[in-house]
Amino acid sequence: MAESLAQLEGAPTVLGVEFRGRGTEYFRIWIVNVALSVITLGIYSAWAKVRTQRYFTGNTFLDGHSFEYHASAWRILVGRAIALTLFLGYSLSVVFVPVSAGLWLLVLAAALPWLANSSIRFNARNTSWRNVRFNFEASYFEAFIAYVVWSAAAIALFLLIPLTRRVHDYFYINHHRFGGRAFKTAFPAGRIYVIYLLGFVVIVALMVAVIAGSAGLVVLATRAHDVLGRFSIPIGRQNFMLLFFALFGLGAAFVSSFVTTLVTNLSIGRTTLEGGFRLSSRASGLRVAWIVVTNALLIVLTAGLYYPFARIRLARYRMRKYALVVTGDLDGFTAEALGAQSAIGEEIAGFFDFGFGL
Amino acid sequence: MSGTIEGRFFLPAAARHVPARASAEADRILRIVDEGGAVLAEAPALAVTVTARLAKLTRRFDLPGGARFETDDNDGADALLRALRKWRRGRFTDRLERAWPIAGLSLLVSLLAGTYFISQAVPIAAEWLALRTLPDVAHTMSEQTLLALDRVALRPTALPAADQAKAARLFTRVAAHAKGGTAGYRLVFRGGGVLGPNAFALPDGTIVMTDQLWAFVKADAEIEGVFAHEMSHVDHAHQLQRVYEATLVPAGLAVFTGDMSQVSQIGAILPGIILQSAYSRRFESQADDDGAATLRRMHEKPSHMADLLQRIDRSVCGKEGCPPSWIGNHPDTPLRAARLRAEDKGPIAPAQDCLRPWKTGISLRCLGWD
Repeated sequence: MAESLAQLEGAPTVLGVEFRGRGTEYFRIWIVNVALSVITLGIYSAWAKVRTQRYFTGNTFLDGHSFEYHASAWRILVGRAIALTLFLGYSLSVVFVPVSAGLWLLVLAAALPWLANSSIRFNARNTSWRNVRFNFEASYFEAFIAYVVWSAAAIALFLLIPLTRRVHDYFYINHHRFGGRAFKTAFPAGRIYVIYLLGFVVIVALMVAVIAGSAGLVVLATRAHDVLGRFSIPIGRQNFMLLFFALFGLGAAFVSSFVTTLVTNLSIGRTTLEGGFRLSSRASGLRVAWIVVTNALLIVLTAGLYYPFARIRLARYRMRKYALVVTGDLDGFTAEALGAQSAIGEEIAGFFDFGFGL
Repeated sequence: MSGTIEGRFFLPAAARHVPARASAEADRILRIVDEGGAVLAEAPALAVTVTARLAKLTRRFDLPGGARFETDDNDGADALLRALRKWRRGRFTDRLERAWPIAGLSLLVSLLAGTYFISQAVPIAAEWLALRTLPDVAHTMSEQTLLALDRVALRPTALPAADQAKAARLFTRVAAHAKGGTAGYRLVFRGGGVLGPNAFALPDGTIVMTDQLWAFVKADAEIEGVFAHEMSHVDHAHQLQRVYEATLVPAGLAVFTGDMSQVSQIGAILPGIILQSAYSRRFESQADDDGAATLRRMHEKPSHMADLLQRIDRSVCGKEGCPPSWIGNHPDTPLRAARLRAEDKGPIAPAQDCLRPWKTGISLRCLGWD
């Protein structure tokens, strides 16, 4: 009780998040699951998904307690079957009845809010910490405004992209619940525009570097070929464009993870949970971008074998930078939330909630 | 009784826990006791739900009524479940996921399946789809492609009417000997712009020739060889096949690995480019062989096209010709030229197919070495 008293008196405690997954361990889980998915023609991939998600969630610890993931693979299988049917229907009808493309766009726009709500809710309700479940409560209309109307606006007017990003983050965070209490985030639009401006500066710097870099590589490779002959990697002058695209892809990944990290820092860092709790996210944008880009390069160099290590490496850094700042009484909060939860009855995923995400 | 394990016990709807021990009792009863030995809970094995074993994750026993027992002792938990004659969920999968030899075997299986997918399934599916795509779709695609190229790369033709008429005459002569007949193809003239001396085929039978290419031609049979080559691309719907291949590879990757995150997408860029060019080189070799056959039917020599290719190569890259490329869309010019010259005497064995090494043999050339 002594520490609870200190908390009540307003001295905030910072509870760090820690990721305990290990690359060599996850590598074996990953490769076995890939092989089983291949052998079963993709059917096992639903179980693989659950095991992977459980591994990552279960190895994430807050205040010494791990998060838990409870989803049933059957639901994910059903979700994927629906998604695959839609995709095949779309592909075939576009090939054989070209005019139907416009119709599909309408169908997708109408279904998107439902799909988004359903899959976010599925993930939230299947995740818990100290036995207290997360939840996600948003109406079709709210999802429609956020994902269809605002996204369309951003496509029409690029200057609205940062604002749309804020709408999406608000929608995602402010409708999440933990033990019945609401998360809430709010931040001024100016801040997000500053981040995108910063991202733009990085893009310009990278563009110069990419053009110079691909030209330099071509010259270098040609020279090397003149000297080394058959023992060099043949990259000709005619491959300038291909190199340019490859480097451009890496550059785009760098900028997008840089911007995403800063935006997450902002939206998560301003998030509060009713009852005297605040989230914090302090990852370095450059560091995350560096991890993402070097991960991609290592994956290519190892013909894909580095992939599981890459995921662990990113999760380890990313999780370490999240924290929960507690000014209220966490034990009391959890106990109360659990009481409320069992009063409603263990609310599990609704009948129409499926895991859609691949 | 064996199968006693250490762990934590949570009362229903309580966040606090006490250290506890779980054991299997007679009649398949699970009993939880505290450190002093006092019974905290008892439940029949059938009413208890246990999470599946995975790596070192905490195992959790959900008891009826909402109480639960948690333990980090996974081996102990499995022994307890065995004593309770209860299904040890995830035990088999966990064993597979733990053993390095199984990981090696899985790697082998995945590699073999991946090779089959890339070298057999994708080309076959792409060809099947391409040959069944409606002409309307092919036509729309061709128009869009040409429009886009006109905007960014091509210029209006500056070829004199006499030259155009001559090219059209040769084109019709070749078409009469090709699979699609004179109605199957259409010749279009453009200024090459950044594309330089070039010719390419669009899915609906439109074949574009740049003015710069015409400027390089010294003998009629040279450009006839090029036309025959492009007509083969049309016959096999190579352009459409490339589109389908570009869609099928990432789709397959997503289905099998169950992951479409950013990391995997970026990681797939460079292999994707190499793979695309490998697919593309196969089409070029096929078109070279078909074109040579058409020329022989016209009683012309396929080797003329080789002269043209090497002339262009020398003018672009200097006396030595262009160095071989790892990621080019076309096979290296010296190789193509040598094959075309050999075709003068009649059909030769199919070109080396690096996607199907068991048919034509594999060499370091498949990795770009010359």
